[in-house]
Amino acid sequence: MTTAFRRTLIASTALGLVAGAAAAQELTVWAWDPNFNGAAMEAAAAAYQEMGNPDFTLDYQEFAREEIEQKLQTQLAAGTMDGLPDIVLIEDYSAQKFLLSFPGAFEPLTDVIDYSGFADYKVALASVDGETYAMPFDSGVTGLFYRSDLIEEAGYTAEDMQDLTWDEFIEIGEAVTEATGTPMISLDINDPGLFVVMLQSTGSWFFNEDGSLNIEGNPDFRAAMADYQEILQSDMWTQVNSWADYQASLAGDVASTVSGVWITGTIKAADMSGQWAVAPIPRVAEAENGTNYSNLGGSSWYVLASSDDKELAFDFLTSVWGSDVEFYNQILVDQGAVGSLLASREGDAYQEADAYFGGQEVWQDFSSWLGQVPAVDYGIFTYEVRSAIASNIPAIADGADLDEAISSIAAEAAVLTQ
Amino acid sequence: MSDVAAHRLDPEAAEPSARAALRGPDGPGRDMIGPAVKYIVLSLAAFVSVFPFFWMLVGTTNSSYDIVRGKAWFGDQLLVNLGNLIEQVDLPRVLFNSFYIAIISTVATLLVSSLAGYAFEIFRHKWRERIFAALLLMLSIPFAALMVPLFVMMASAGLINTYSAIILPTIANIFIIFYFRQATKAFPHELRDAAKIDGLKEWQIFLRVYMPVMRSTYAAATIIVFTLTWNNYLWPLIVLQTNDMKTMVLTISSLNSAYTPDFGVIMVATVITTLPTLIIFFLLQRLFVQGMLGSVK
Amino acid sequence: MAQTRLGRAENRAGWAFVMPALVLVGIFMIYPILWSLWMSLQTGRGMTTSFGGLANIQRLFADPIFLTALSNTMIFLAIQVPIMIMLALVFAVMLNDPKTKFRGLFRTAIFLPAVTSLVAYSILFKSIFSNDGLATTIVTFFGGPEISWLGEPFWAKVVIILAITWRWTGYNMIFYLAALQNIDRSIYEAARIDGVPARAQFFRITIPMLKPVILFTTIISTIGTLQLFDEVQNITQGGPSNATLTLSQYIFNLTFRFMPSYGYAATVSYVIVVLVAVLSVIQFWIARDRK
Repeated sequence: MTTAFRRTLIASTALGLVAGAAAAQELTVWAWDPNFNGAAMEAAAAAYQEMGNPDFTLDYQEFAREEIEQKLQTQLAAGTMDGLPDIVLIEDYSAQKFLLSFPGAFEPLTDVIDYSGFADYKVALASVDGETYAMPFDSGVTGLFYRSDLIEEAGYTAEDMQDLTWDEFIEIGEAVTEATGTPMISLDINDPGLFVVMLQSTGSWFFNEDGSLNIEGNPDFRAAMADYQEILQSDMWTQVNSWADYQASLAGDVASTVSGVWITGTIKAADMSGQWAVAPIPRVAEAENGTNYSNLGGSSWYVLASSDDKELAFDFLTSVWGSDVEFYNQILVDQGAVGSLLASREGDAYQEADAYFGGQEVWQDFSSWLGQVPAVDYGIFTYEVRSAIASNIPAIADGADLDEAISSIAAEAAVLTQ
Repeated sequence: MSDVAAHRLDPEAAEPSARAALRGPDGPGRDMIGPAVKYIVLSLAAFVSVFPFFWMLVGTTNSSYDIVRGKAWFGDQLLVNLGNLIEQVDLPRVLFNSFYIAIISTVATLLVSSLAGYAFEIFRHKWRERIFAALLLMLSIPFAALMVPLFVMMASAGLINTYSAIILPTIANIFIIFYFRQATKAFPHELRDAAKIDGLKEWQIFLRVYMPVMRSTYAAATIIVFTLTWNNYLWPLIVLQTNDMKTMVLTISSLNSAYTPDFGVIMVATVITTLPTLIIFFLLQRLFVQGMLGSVK
Repeated sequence: MAQTRLGRAENRAGWAFVMPALVLVGIFMIYPILWSLWMSLQTGRGMTTSFGGLANIQRLFADPIFLTALSNTMIFLAIQVPIMIMLALVFAVMLNDPKTKFRGLFRTAIFLPAVTSLVAYSILFKSIFSNDGLATTIVTFFGGPEISWLGEPFWAKVVIILAITWRWTGYNMIFYLAALQNIDRSIYEAARIDGVPARAQFFRITIPMLKPVILFTTIISTIGTLQLFDEVQNITQGGPSNATLTLSQYIFNLTFRFMPSYGYAATVSYVIVVLVAVLSVIQFWIARDRK
């Protein structure tokens, strides 16, 4: 099998050289979400063309995120890279899994990119053994997006929404739900995203530094889960069953949501200018280092080692994604994408007030919160543990004993990460 | 057994109403359930069976918002949905992929599997029943148990993301071999003997005598195999890597799992995916019923 | 002498005719399934594996997610297959009655779901059972409660069962119809003259006469349900909270979604092989001739 593997590698490299010579100025990119990642990539391609590369073409291929991960994993595991693109978008949660499972599959960019210009935590997520493998893209810094009009209707002000604890948030949420008839938040019980946000806001994570599970006996995990259970047992939420339902619920069916900054585009897609505002997320009061800042999602661009034209990929990434502040301004305005290039924070767009959010300088806020997000190492088993949490959510919502629920999560996670 | 089988080749005999006319209105359903109840049950079953098709057609004309909120009547979004689909998906390419894979698979499967099914019934050999039983046992192997080794095999053969990778594993279809063996029991041996006396070789008998006589069996098998390969999902999902190799089924699955799925677009794609199998079914329906009659003891 | 030569020629033709199929089965089924067996003895993640003996089997019994997937699959099997087989039999018997009008129309209508793509109809069902979707509209119209079909473990299972039943009942019905038409009507004639009531005819004549077909369709359906993947993947993705996760889906997750665990995934897939074998034996045993 190893010889066959090697033969295929050689064959694909040879093929790659031929193909590379034929279409020297084209890069194939895989990503998900055409209105966000796709649009940002298209904008980057346009910017690159204007920089004196008129022959450059981008072949953007849209897939679902799960699809991309499955395809990468399948091919890399089988030892081929035939069908893979030049550049692929990988979510931060999965980055370590791919880098550690498939050494040699991704091109190290340590010598290509000056990482000192990027947010540290993004760089750390894409690094293994001193090498960094990604062009950091968007941040998932979280915010509490809320409907200022509904909050007001229930007798609260913007002031009341700042730096809450989850207990306070639930209190307000129940009052708002009762006063306005609109549930405070929507939750997909298949997706423990909110809990994940809460946990990271405490500076803790599913794993210890050595990669072992840090669930049972982790006081932060327990504290976050206690707050999460309280939310699930409150009357302030409505259930959604899919990501699409969740997005739809933001157009008038709920009074608030906790999410990554990238949700801004979805929120602004509804016709509700002036009715929204953003505050830092509530904090887990019982956690020792509980903060009002966290992260959800976020991803980075990786160059595949099988790419036909790595030089082109490097040049494209560094000249646009690595330094073009104007480009970052543009995708901030058009897509609501908060990049992790620190210099981009100085751009004009970041200073502007947003009428949709009642004139709030939201990008300034997000930028300052970004710096306070506790950095954690996502490790290689994030989705396994999320799956273990998800399968216990119904019991937790039904009021299961917290320690038993956590033991059960830990047991499932232990099997899945075996 | 064999006279019943010979009977079955006669379309008159296979037509129960003709037989019933001779013998009077008796049948297993007689008096068991009152006629009113029977028609209510059948109408309900037919309605439930057909309704999702109606829902799909209605869906093509509505916005995603209306569809997920259960609007069950026609709207005016058909062109918008169709336009969005064409914008998002390279339809000609995807349709070509689907047709190419399904047609080649169907032809190859029918040929290889009917040849085997025919041989298992016609030729006697001491190993015959043992090999056949072993094949039937393999019907129980779930695809999930094969997919990882198969993938690695395809990878070492350099076949990832090719049509061959999809087609090759489907050709020897044990179910279809079994089906043809059963159907061959109804094939009149006298025809074969006559052909041999005429000096035809075995392969000539198969091509010129067996295949034409068994055309209704082939029709039924065509529907089954074409539907199977056209609708194949898990294996293409794994082995096809790029968008220009995607089939219709993979396309609707991607649209469905997209970041913001648009159900209007999905419904149009679903109609396009369903139409070919539907058309083939209606074209071959008559032969299909006869073919199924011949296949089951 | 002539006889033997002919026999030899037939022998050659026989082998030549089955050979392409056997070779393909060998390459694309036997070789991978043996490889899979070998893999099931390996432990480890991704490309770094080592021989683990029976460690994966031990892991099975301690794996709550495997047990959930197993019990979900068995629930689908135990509830869906009998319902579907009964419905298909009832429809077939009704449609076999020559007195029934519009038989062709009913038959076509009920069979129609069987030509749809599994993915396509799954998406249709997903849209029908979405929150505030058509199913909810209909149920609340008749005064029923507002149900979150795909959000509650129980109802999500119900939706999956409804979906599979919709897709496959007509398919099975065709087998029964075909078999029914081969039953000699004079048997019923005689039974009628002897005064055997219709219900007894159904259970004492129809069912026994159809036993081989019922057995065949039951086994085929059992295999199909044990391999259930497309529907759950496209309707619920195994949710909510793994309530509809099936064995095939778990294998898929272990292979392609989580850190790849090929050896363990192969072990889980052998669970399906063993289940099919055991259930087939049981079904043969139940359907055996008791004389």
